[in-house]
Amino acid sequence: LWEKKKKESIFDLSKYIDKQIRVKFQGGREASGVLKGFDPLLNLVLDSTIEYLRDPDDQFKLTEDTRQLGLVVCRGTSVVLICPQDGMEAIPNPFIQQQDG
Amino acid sequence: MAATPATNPSQLLPLELVDKCIGSRIHIVMKNDKEIVGTLLGFDDFVSILYTNGRRITKLDQILLNGNNITMLIPGGEGPEV
Repeated sequence: LWEKKKKESIFDLSKYIDKQIRVKFQGGREASGVLKGFDPLLNLVLDSTIEYLRDPDDQFKLTEDTRQLGLVVCRGTSVVLICPQDGMEAIPNPFIQQQDG
Repeated sequence: MAATPATNPSQLLPLELVDKCIGSRIHIVMKNDKEIVGTLLGFDDFVSILYTNGRRITKLDQILLNGNNITMLIPGGEGPEV
């Protein structure tokens, strides 16, 4: 019965402690930092945090700009994705139709 | 490796860090483009935040900030240059 399982996490963040991770938030913000701590509600403590800033005209497009935030608490209610920083790479847009000639 | 939330005690708990920040400046980043800098008076289980001397471009004396839209909390932060 799921009710008996209480607050077990399906994902163990302790393997990411002291590693660089990338975090995406509701609302489009993205940040990256060293994971220093977390709780079962997915609140995170990140150190040496960088926020990736979005294009002011197109809120969904990332720019090259970043800002340093230092030691930060990320609200678990706002987190939508966590991945290792070196576990992702940009690929060419797979949705663009190839132009002929 | 146990999947229970009994995490390693030598790590830093997020709400402990916020608790240490009571009485100091804190910079709060919301889900949208709003940010607030002020002196943290306290918070609750849902991270509603009680502030004084909030600077939200306009100055506020005291503010009880609803935690629903909070994305990041930065202890000691002064926020972007205004």
